[in-house]
Amino acid sequence: MSETSRDASPSVVADLIERTILDVGIPPCPYILDRFITEMRQDDPDFNRLATLIGSDVGLSAGLIKTANSPYFGVRQRVRSVNEALAILGLRTASGAVAGLILRDAFPNVPNLERFWDASARIALLSGWLAQYFEIRGLRAEDAYTFGLFRDCGIPVLLGRFPHYGQLLAKANQELERGFTEVEEDELPTNHAMVGCLLAQNWWLPEEICLAIRNHHDAEALVSEGSNLPQLSRRLIAVSQLAEYIVQRQSGLSQTREWEKLGDGCMRVLTLDEVQLEKLYIEAEPIATSSD
Amino acid sequence: MGGEGFTRKGFRLFDFLFSLFIGMNSKDNLTGLLDRFGCLQAAEKLLTTSLHNKTSFAVVWLDLDRFKKINDSFGHTGGDAVIRNLAERLQRVVGRSVIARMSSDEFVFLLPECDRPHAESFSRLLAETVQELIPIGNMTLCPTASIGIAIHETGETSLDVLERADRAMGAAKSKGGNCIVCSGDEPTPGRLGISLAREELLIESNLHVALETGGLCLNYQPLVRADGSIEAVEALMRCSVKGENLPPAKFIPVAEKTGLVVRLGEWSLLQGALQAQMLQNQGYQIKVAINVSRAQLTSPKFTQALNAALICSNVNPALLELELTESLFMDISNTVQMNLRNAIATGVTLSIDDFGTGYSCLANLKDIPARKLKLDRAFVTVLPEDARALAVVRAMVQLGHELDMTVVAEGCERQEENDLLLEAGVDAIQGYFYAKPMPEQELVQWLQSWSTK
Repeated sequence: MSETSRDASPSVVADLIERTILDVGIPPCPYILDRFITEMRQDDPDFNRLATLIGSDVGLSAGLIKTANSPYFGVRQRVRSVNEALAILGLRTASGAVAGLILRDAFPNVPNLERFWDASARIALLSGWLAQYFEIRGLRAEDAYTFGLFRDCGIPVLLGRFPHYGQLLAKANQELERGFTEVEEDELPTNHAMVGCLLAQNWWLPEEICLAIRNHHDAEALVSEGSNLPQLSRRLIAVSQLAEYIVQRQSGLSQTREWEKLGDGCMRVLTLDEVQLEKLYIEAEPIATSSD
Repeated sequence: MGGEGFTRKGFRLFDFLFSLFIGMNSKDNLTGLLDRFGCLQAAEKLLTTSLHNKTSFAVVWLDLDRFKKINDSFGHTGGDAVIRNLAERLQRVVGRSVIARMSSDEFVFLLPECDRPHAESFSRLLAETVQELIPIGNMTLCPTASIGIAIHETGETSLDVLERADRAMGAAKSKGGNCIVCSGDEPTPGRLGISLAREELLIESNLHVALETGGLCLNYQPLVRADGSIEAVEALMRCSVKGENLPPAKFIPVAEKTGLVVRLGEWSLLQGALQAQMLQNQGYQIKVAINVSRAQLTSPKFTQALNAALICSNVNPALLELELTESLFMDISNTVQMNLRNAIATGVTLSIDDFGTGYSCLANLKDIPARKLKLDRAFVTVLPEDARALAVVRAMVQLGHELDMTVVAEGCERQEENDLLLEAGVDAIQGYFYAKPMPEQELVQWLQSWSTK
């Protein structure tokens, strides 16, 4: 959702996020996601109830329709209404889309997140595109997209709780040898991957996405035979790291050193070689530069 | 389903004879693939050709994981649609080999001129093919399969090979499904029969579903002090899938076996911490006690998870208590020690659960940094009748107090038990006598009405 759409109906969005007013660190599971889950448990889910609820928020409705129509969300028909979006995406996918839309507004007390969310959105879109490009069985573009949005959702939580976290992030971004989360743990008792995993789990996101969030800086878990990380989680991680690499290479701004640490593992997971990578880069460049 | 399909139904000979007399086109109605009889005939034919050409052949037995769940959730029409969809996709990858549908969710592949490496790579291809998503209603399904391989050995009949492939598939299923086992590699069956392993598999998949569809919740049971004030509330996990409650006695052991207990434990840490914070916001300074499993404490990520839960909930750590079972203290590894130290450093407190029944290692008790002992319910239920049990409770209370610990009794259901426990000097009591475990909304109501008593 854009800033303007949120301003259009602040009270409704506030209702949807609800309970945020409590003094807690993570945004609680939004009411609307609870409703999705409740409907999913029904044998005969009532789409109309959900559509009415979503429809009461102009920004959210517009966002959902736009997401459903995005070429990376796995829908081929053109969607015009919330009802259609729900029917075509299905509840599981639609709830992922809705979660992604709400996430951006879920940290009202953390300032200056615009660039962070823009970067996440860019990586998420390119991840969706890459998932389609690779045509890997079981790896859906919409999951890659949702994962791209939620991958770093622990960061705003920690930014809101620790004044110095911004500097710590900068340090972790530049670290060439040690893992990203190890650097965070120099000064914090936890890391953004673990926090993000708890948030995603609390929002009832799919298991593989939660596990991918938890392990997305873990080079060992990515390739190790013995790690319990599901294949799908590994592929989600690999695709998003590749997306980040392409975006950063294209913009000429290397904000992170993750590809240097995880790139080999990612290419193994995606069975990609250097030549293919270069070819892919050329194809992906226009996607990386396009605004959604 | 599955493993018992081929041989254990006891009409093996009948199958065989029937296959000889029935016409060549013994097809399955739903998928158009060969059926059991067609499969037997084809296997017999393949055996003859292979013997003649002096080549070996392989049988691959594929059984869809959790198919019962698919049928349960989507009805038989849904299940049929999945099977048809799957059959079509499998047919596309089989090449020159023969494919047959043996029972509702079982397929057999006969691979001519095939050795073990080929059979294995073919099976991997099958596994990948199965994993393609299948749209069903408004959901998508990501199916997986258990696959067994058998290579024909000299002197074997076609039935022998089929039987070995079936057994290998059963072994793959026992390993939790979604894997490939080659005949000869399967472990000898343990104490758990295959049927039990399958029930566990179903529970496991239900736990995954619960983790993704809001099927988990915590209920809270108060611990009431002798003066009527509330010592704490214990968080107890409830799991329900599609309206059906899974009893903890069933899902906890499976969660422990599969490692899922770590994820469930982290989930309850956060929920319990959020609950403590919520209670505080409503004016109740009450500790929430959360069960922590051995698997969590032996994980090097426990400290990060605990701290993440504390940060996410913004709760005062003094309002959280971690309940550990005493068996944990039998052997305390370095990781466990470090995790316990780190936990205490955050400000949470520890208690020892189910004390007195398992491995009461008194030598270790003095070194455990716990502040509370929870006496096992086994002592409580016999109290009124058993004078010796009362003596043991008195002694444990004294022991706990000497070690500066709060002593709590669990499982109190009757007035007589309650009175004897208080007389024995127990600091707080938990059980149906005061309240059953309640969902969060009821807990707040209970606390309100309790405080006005």
